[in-house]
Amino acid sequence: MRELGAEIAHDYADREPILVGSLKASFVFLADLSRAMPILHGLDFVELAGYGSAQMGGHEQIRVLKDLDADIRDRDVIVVEDVVDTGLTLHYLVRTFELRKPRSIAAVTLLDRPYRRLVDDLPVRYVGFVVPDELFVGYGFDLEERWRQLADLRLVHS
Amino acid sequence: MALEIPDFQVYRGTEPPRFASQAELECAKVLDYYGVPWEYEPTTFVLEEDENGRVLEAFAPDFYLPDQDLYVEITLMKQSLVTRKNRKLRKLRERYPDVRIKLFYKRDIERLAQHFNLDLAPS
Repeated sequence: MRELGAEIAHDYADREPILVGSLKASFVFLADLSRAMPILHGLDFVELAGYGSAQMGGHEQIRVLKDLDADIRDRDVIVVEDVVDTGLTLHYLVRTFELRKPRSIAAVTLLDRPYRRLVDDLPVRYVGFVVPDELFVGYGFDLEERWRQLADLRLVHS
Repeated sequence: MALEIPDFQVYRGTEPPRFASQAELECAKVLDYYGVPWEYEPTTFVLEEDENGRVLEAFAPDFYLPDQDLYVEITLMKQSLVTRKNRKLRKLRERYPDVRIKLFYKRDIERLAQHFNLDLAPS
């Protein structure tokens, strides 16, 4: 975390980026990352309805459950993801944010599974760990909305 | 039983897609949900011809994502049975080195199903 925070702080020195956490699983990572970045920066959150939950509710197009509070025009936006897998969620977020004319958009993810990408034109500039095809809980990650509170990331054995 | 096809938002094909399996339909719905333009089996690649130019072997990947310039093939075969499909992919890559294609195996699809709460059971 210190390395990621220092790297981002170095790249954004003399700027004031805004970290945008993609809820829910990224909230712990974002909290730690923010405290590891020794530069001024803003914080905001966004939440999208996941495909599964949307299907249960009958939606056929993606829906924003919580939009940004901040105006990101001319800001340096850093999207904070828990994991980038297919890239579909991040792809949607980036396209949506680009319409608001930010100065730049980058993404940081705690975990990455690049071998599962369906879309690859993504601005993933900072990666914590490339992980194998395993399921994790804790540190904000859930299994059916449980175990997010665990302090550490743990592997689920099925 | 025929699959129930929804009204897709970002389908870029000209003919209505005729999916071969529930898994293909579910993948199409996920792509559509996230607004990633897609086509269904738009291209058949010739892999082998005889001396008269007759096609001996061809391959039509399931999806094409035009914005990504990427073909996607999905298979629900067991890992031990995908040798033939892997061989086709290898041939395609040899003959069309500029074509970008990704194969999603049964395990990948199951992970997607888990992540997106997909119903992969045949209807």
